[in-house]
This record gives sequence, structure tokens and C-alpha cells, in this order.
Amino acid sequence: MATSTHLQATDIDEVTYEQQFTRPIHIVGRYTNLFGAALMFLPSLWLYLQYGVFPPTEAILVGMGLALTYAVPFYIIEPISYYPTLGDAGTYMSFFAGNISNMRLPCAAVAQEVAGVEEGSKKGELVATIGIAVSIWLSIIAVFIGAVATGWIVQVFPPWIQDAFKTYLLPAVFGAVFGQFALRGFKYAIVALILATLPLLLAWKAYVVIPLAVFGTILIGRLMYRKGTTQVEEGEGHP
Amino acid sequence: MDWKQIANEPWIWISGFIIAAVALYQATFFMMKALNIMKQNGLDQKQIIGIVRGATITSVGPIFAEIFVMVALVVALSPGFAWQREGAAVGSVFTELVQASNAAVGAGQEFGAENFDMLGFSNVVFVMNVACIGWLLVTGLFTPYLAKAREKIGGGDHMWLSVLTICATLGVFGYYAATNLVKMKTTAGVPVGIATIAGAILAIFFFRLSDWIKSPRLKEWALGLAMFGGMIIGKLAADLLLA
Repeated sequence: MATSTHLQATDIDEVTYEQQFTRPIHIVGRYTNLFGAALMFLPSLWLYLQYGVFPPTEAILVGMGLALTYAVPFYIIEPISYYPTLGDAGTYMSFFAGNISNMRLPCAAVAQEVAGVEEGSKKGELVATIGIAVSIWLSIIAVFIGAVATGWIVQVFPPWIQDAFKTYLLPAVFGAVFGQFALRGFKYAIVALILATLPLLLAWKAYVVIPLAVFGTILIGRLMYRKGTTQVEEGEGHP
Repeated sequence: MDWKQIANEPWIWISGFIIAAVALYQATFFMMKALNIMKQNGLDQKQIIGIVRGATITSVGPIFAEIFVMVALVVALSPGFAWQREGAAVGSVFTELVQASNAAVGAGQEFGAENFDMLGFSNVVFVMNVACIGWLLVTGLFTPYLAKAREKIGGGDHMWLSVLTICATLGVFGYYAATNLVKMKTTAGVPVGIATIAGAILAIFFFRLSDWIKSPRLKEWALGLAMFGGMIIGKLAADLLLA
């Protein structure tokens, strides 16, 4: 990595960071996400007030029952599992705007790599915040254009390209981000891959496998890190 | 009025704009805070441009993928509804299609089928929006506690915090990569895992290359190039195997 792009090695002062970033982030994050939750009722309310249409209770109960069976485990698992990577601001933003694994996390990772900051540091979190915010602006504008001009887009891009994006981009994204982070610690990458692959082969559910892969890798990573820092000479414990 | 027409009236577009505006306000507020404090700590204009460019390049592929998949929502429901759901608010189009089907089943109908009507649509609007409240509530209420938990686990050791973050990210993407590697199949029986493997190899190659040739600019492109490369290799391999 070229040193010219590196930010200063020292991290930001604890008190400054708390006062100028963490505190306002938690206040605004909390209110905007809770306000966002309330806003989710807006379309249905508007549909009822303007057109007098509201789904019957039974349809809501059955529909919500099916939807919640799918979603509830992820309400808890995803914020906990993604938090170490996203940080405070990244968590509020990403769970409001969505598309976390395919867009927010990759953008945060690239922003950190470009700025040359360390993951898990305060500077790392600030740079990730900028990367995620940029991706939110871009994706909202692009989705609006996409919704307005779907017909045009479908006509302009040949079916071969559309199929490539629909079927193969996401698998490539996951591989690419995994590859990027494998460079930061191959031994941890192998642990993560084993912990994710074995339960998947046993057909375990996603809400079990995700926390197992994340926290299992952290736990084994902790043991490896401790062993590394006590056995090797100073400085070699770096990921 | 036909439900298809109602589904694209101003009410749904404006609802989408209001939700997107809150998400954009939040993102902008956080970004300004981060920029202010980073500028005080040595971040210059050139680096900011680099970060923005890197995030932009990396977003392009996933945005196109989202738009192409979004076509299903546009065709089956309406452009306005696709905008309202996909603009902001946990709008992964892959999850959305599953939830739309669940909501239609709740109304005794099939999403996108002949019998789908105003009742089914109103249930889709309710269920899809309300079902994503959980993520907003959990993050809105409990993020400060997650921060405290991380501090405790980190124990003030900066190097360990860095390792912890790397391990967590590898865990998340290890899971997603493994899902593709394990299945190795699309509906047509084609291994999508080839795209995953190609993406990983290309990312490692491009990031390493940027270090070897001492070109920090390549890092801005590395992930975007690996995604596109992996996608194209995956598609070409599929075409070859199917032929």
C-alpha cells in the first residue's frame, strides 16, 4: 500500500470523537430510524385515506405471519453480526437504506482501503461512514431513475448482460469482498469459510449459520491472535 | 379504478420520496459529521475525492443488478411501488420478492398471477412495509448497546479490534460466499460458485497489483473490477457449460 495515501497512524482523541461524532450520531440515528419505522405505515394509511382500500385483518395476519417467520430471526441476528464491520453510523444508515451485504459493506471496505485506515479504528469507522453515505445517495438516485425508465433500461441492455447482472453479480460481489478481506488475514479467512461451509452442507438455517460464522470466526480469531501476540516478536501480530 | 392504475398514482411515489428523504438526511448528516472530524485529523480534499470515487465505482455493479431484478417488481406491481420499496428502507430486492409472495398468499392470491387484485396489492403494500420495521426498531433502540458490547470485547486493544472487525467481515462474507459455493447451481443447473471464486481471485489480484505497482488509484477500482470480472467469467462459464 502506498504510504502517500495513508492517513496519520495515530487514531482520533477519545473525547473529541465522543463529543463530535458518537453522541450526535446516536441521537440522530435513533430518531431517524424510529421515525422511519413509523413511516412504514404511511403507504397503507394513504391508500386507505384516498381510495378507501385496506386489507382485511385475516389477510394481514396470514401475510405478516409468513413474512415475520422469514424476517424475525434476521431482525436480531443481522444488526449484531454486521455491527463490528459497520460501526454506529453505518448500522443506522445501512439498516435504514438496506442492501447491506451487496452494497454498503463493499463500499465501506473500499473506502477504508483507499484511505489506508485500519478496520475497527475510529478513523476506519469515519471513512466507512463516508463510503456508505455516498453509496446511499447513489443508489437512491439510481433506483428512482430505474423505476421511471425501466422500459428503456430493459431495451438498451441486451438480455445476456441483464442475465449476467441478475444471476452472477451478487455471487461475484461476495467472492470479491471475501477475497479483499482474506488479504488482511488468510488464516482467519480459512476459519470463516470452514465455519460457514460445514453447517451449510448440513442444511442448517441462515439465522444459525450467519452468527456461527461471524462469532465463531471472532472467537477462533481471538485465540489465534492471543497465541500470535504471545509467541511472535513484537509487531508480527498484525493481521 | 383498476388496481394497476392506483398502484402507480402520486400517493405511492410521494410516500417513496418522504422515506427516501429521511434516509438521505440521515446519510448526509452522518457524512458531514465524519468529514468534519476527519478534516481536523489530516484528511485532505484529494483523499475525500478518492473515497467518493472508490465508493461510486464499487456501487455501480450492485446498483445495476438491483435495477435489473427490480424489473420484476415494476412489471408485477408498478414502477411507483418499486420506487417506494427499493429507494430506501431495507430494500434488498431479493428479500422484497419473497415478502411480496408471502403477502399475496396471505390474501389468498398468487403474486403476479391472474387472480392478483386490489386486495392482494393492498396486502402487499402493508406486509412488505410493516415487515421491515423490525430492523429499524432494533437498530433505532439498541445500537448504543452494541457499541458498548464491542468496547467491552475490544478491551482497548486497537490491534485486536482491527482483527475482530476483519474476522466479523470474513464471517459475513464467508457465509455468503459459501452459500454460492455449496449450491454451485442456478435453476438451469449452472454453478454460480464460479463467479464467487473468480471474484475472490480477481480481488486478491487487483489489490496485490496496486501494492506492487504502487498505484493507490487502482484500489478505488479493484473491487468494482473484481465484481464485473467475476460476473462475466461466471456468465461465460455458464454459457460454455450449458452449450
